[in-house]
Amino acid sequence: MEKSLVTLDNGTTCSSWNYNGERLATGSVDGTLAIFDSIDPASSSFTCTSRSRVHEDSVVKVVWVPPEYGDAVGCICADGTLSLWEEVVEDAQPLQWKLCKSFGSNSNKVLDVQFGVSPTSLKMVIAYSDGHVKVYELLDPLELKSWQLQAEFQNASDSVSTFGKALCLSASVSWNPQRGESQQSSFVLGFHSDTPQLNSAKVWEFDQDHQRWLPVAELALHGDKGDQVFTVAWAPNIGRPYEVIAVATHKGIAIWHLGLNPDIDGRLSVERVALLSGHDGEVWQMEWDMSGMTLATTGGDGMVRLWQSNLNGVWHEQAALEPTS
Amino acid sequence: MPGLTADSGNALVPLSPEAHVSVVYPLHHGLKPPISRLSISWSRGNALRVSVFRELPAESGDSDGEAGGKVVQVKLGVADGEVDDAQWRRIAYGSVSPFALLQSRRNSVLALSKMSMSSSPYHPDWWEYVMEYSKDISSLLDNAKSLPNSVIDDPKTVLKKVEEPTCLKAAWGLLEIFYADKESQAWLPEQIVDWLADYDILFSGTQATVHSKLVEFQKAIVRLQTIEDDPRYWEVITSALAVGWLEIVVKLLRLHGSYQLDQLSNRETENGLVEAVAILISKMPRMRPELEAGRLGECFKTKPDFIKAWEKWRAQITKLDCSSFWVQCDHRQTRDGLRNMLQVMLGNTNNLCTSTCHWIELYISHFLYVRPFTVGLESMHALAQKCIQLKPISSSHRLMGLIIGILGENTEEERDNLGGISIEELHRLVYAQVLSSHALTWQIAPIYLTSCMKQGMGLLEVLLYKQPVQDNQMLLKTTEICRLYDLESISSSIMKIAGVYHWKHGRKGSGVFWLQQARDEFRLNRIAQQLFDFVGRSISDESFKQWEGLIELLGSESKIAGGLDFLHKYRDFKKSLQQVQVGKTTDAAQQAVESLISLMRNPSTPQRFWLPLLHDSLKLLSWQERPLLNVNQTNLLLNKLQELSMARLRPDFIEANLPPQALSSVRLALATNLGRAILEE
Repeated sequence: MEKSLVTLDNGTTCSSWNYNGERLATGSVDGTLAIFDSIDPASSSFTCTSRSRVHEDSVVKVVWVPPEYGDAVGCICADGTLSLWEEVVEDAQPLQWKLCKSFGSNSNKVLDVQFGVSPTSLKMVIAYSDGHVKVYELLDPLELKSWQLQAEFQNASDSVSTFGKALCLSASVSWNPQRGESQQSSFVLGFHSDTPQLNSAKVWEFDQDHQRWLPVAELALHGDKGDQVFTVAWAPNIGRPYEVIAVATHKGIAIWHLGLNPDIDGRLSVERVALLSGHDGEVWQMEWDMSGMTLATTGGDGMVRLWQSNLNGVWHEQAALEPTS
Repeated sequence: MPGLTADSGNALVPLSPEAHVSVVYPLHHGLKPPISRLSISWSRGNALRVSVFRELPAESGDSDGEAGGKVVQVKLGVADGEVDDAQWRRIAYGSVSPFALLQSRRNSVLALSKMSMSSSPYHPDWWEYVMEYSKDISSLLDNAKSLPNSVIDDPKTVLKKVEEPTCLKAAWGLLEIFYADKESQAWLPEQIVDWLADYDILFSGTQATVHSKLVEFQKAIVRLQTIEDDPRYWEVITSALAVGWLEIVVKLLRLHGSYQLDQLSNRETENGLVEAVAILISKMPRMRPELEAGRLGECFKTKPDFIKAWEKWRAQITKLDCSSFWVQCDHRQTRDGLRNMLQVMLGNTNNLCTSTCHWIELYISHFLYVRPFTVGLESMHALAQKCIQLKPISSSHRLMGLIIGILGENTEEERDNLGGISIEELHRLVYAQVLSSHALTWQIAPIYLTSCMKQGMGLLEVLLYKQPVQDNQMLLKTTEICRLYDLESISSSIMKIAGVYHWKHGRKGSGVFWLQQARDEFRLNRIAQQLFDFVGRSISDESFKQWEGLIELLGSESKIAGGLDFLHKYRDFKKSLQQVQVGKTTDAAQQAVESLISLMRNPSTPQRFWLPLLHDSLKLLSWQERPLLNVNQTNLLLNKLQELSMARLRPDFIEANLPPQALSSVRLALATNLGRAILEE
């Protein structure tokens, strides 16, 4: 039985909950960023606590910045720009959302942005429509204004050859959710582009010794390497001896196991343990639950589907939710 | 488990429904169509939030009064109409102490067994502890308000009315039989017979059961004149016999028309046959230590005794079956009905199959009449499969799934495909995730998670990390739990989040406090650096107070950016300067000068602040009444100025943000002071 939590404004195009589900950020077609909070802890309904005009054009995606760096969101707009907005209370002024930084342009659009936390810094991965990926690092932990470009590369296994201007429709980035003190973060990245070599989902890790990002695994079977990737999602690992990553292409939702220990070449072992079909071959979004045991997906068929593995390790669709009035 | 072999855990249960059919649930959002898009996000535990966005109406500015979208939340899990939320919470909270007690007893038993030289891993009291735990939980699951037994025992009432039990209680009953009640393992089949008698009613919702047949017939009895003419009578008796409800069988038999006083003389033989069967039934040997009062059958504790009685009993049945009295029995239905019953008692599988409805009833009948010695999980599992083949599952029921699961799985073996955990751990993790879904029960989850060896702490870390931090009470509670379970890094993370939150929302003091608790040197360094920026600037009193407060909080012994010693001294200096502003007395001014000298002498004073300090003190350096600095002090300052001028030639020198003539003004003031000082001495 469902419970209604929030009523959204007209023209809302996207929404995103913060890390612990206490705050909701939504973007609208008129470029408004609206924030919803639960004022009364007893009731579980949310009301709008602020509205800011963040752009002239429609907001297409909102991504929260990790809470260790404040209450902030990145807004990707239809014209391909990304702006970072932060909620601050300054001096005697009331609470407001302020612009910290902008990225991207109409000619080179931002397709996806995701934030990763490592013990010493905040990293931001931006995937662009020309097939390039930029990794930025935050210099000052208390200010979201100054970002340093740490690396720029393309999503290709072969780091030597460069590919001309690619035409990318979408991209998907997912950081490893772990917050280990000692480990460096890694992320998985996939593209939906006209250049096959850039498409397949690859796992990128930062090589401290050489100070650069290296692809340590490719999540695609031999014949599928050029397939365009809709979306990727890295599951939280609560103690499994392998990582679980979901990759969605037109062939279906693939569940991959990624080994933890690199071989001599520094590569990690991969195994595809399931290929699930649903959503008429078009997947919009995939989200893992807190234990990494259930995957929720939405797609072109307008349904929400839930996937789990049974006791014998076989993945199947456990249930589906069909939105009705 | 007795009789379990090492590799039975790997075997697939061939008849379990592998082709899982996904259930579709409607998600009501209350919006007018068309819907343009969906977005999903997991909330705590098993709660899923779905954002539904409505397509914008074609005409812009045409607000049709409808919302642009909705966010709805669903909790995933078995939609259980049986147990309401409050009841569920009561059970969840009530289960914690028994569980914790059992865990602590388990740990001490393990410790003892390690210390002692005994080879047996089992402590004599261990199974007592387990049964005690089981009974504690079982009593929590009671919602039974059993109806009072009527005083008058109506002979026509065969089924006693009781409050309908819950699936939850039935499930726990099964778990108790298979996992907790080790002392009664030898008569496990009879325990299952008893279990079905209590809970067959639960299956009546989805399929035909012996219980439902009895209920139907119970209603019909009132209207029947000659009960023995009705074929349903014989059907129902045989079914009840098949599942071992002997008391009901005998009661029904005694309703037979041949017992009526006016019939006895005519139907002597018939009555004799009926009574003979009734007596045989009431003397059925049972492989169990005891039966409650009023129940039929003869109990045997040891196998040899039982076998002797069993064979004797079967011989008696066969003798009756072969007797010539049947020919003399006129009433056809009675003759056929009784003979069918004898076939059941002889263990004829065809008869057993016809008289039972679903596979569990057939299963029970096998224990009673075919193989009363079935022991060991493997053989029980094989028998279950055979019964399912004979009576395929038409609509699966949760309890059926549970039984199959219990018979088929080895719960303690670790499985690779679950990430190296056992089913036991998996169940606890899943339960903990369910507990995490509710704001009122998440605090119980840690107790279960800490008993999960492999993945429990990982899930606990995730759970704690997601707790809200804005409220200090909540934060303290969460950090206390972290401390209890040695989760230093999570504790530090959430305090860091709280610190940043307060810092950015105007509560700088709280922010610094929590960052210090989190030992976040990184951010505290940055804050200290920001505080340094105040030096040499003229700031409002308000800001100064805040700045001063922060310096106090940061303390001076931290290892931050060259030490905050300087900032403390600077603060003292600034304060004394303020006094001079206010008072204009020479004493105050002298004090300020002492402060200044001490600062300038101090090696921890960064060079880039020398000029700002001196510039701040211009008033002191050109004090009207008398020179406040003596010759030595003035020389010291002049030397510092000289050093500064040399340093400015270096490429990495950072110019202080001061007016261009600052340096010359200071130099002039010092020179004047020197002149006056020399004159004084």
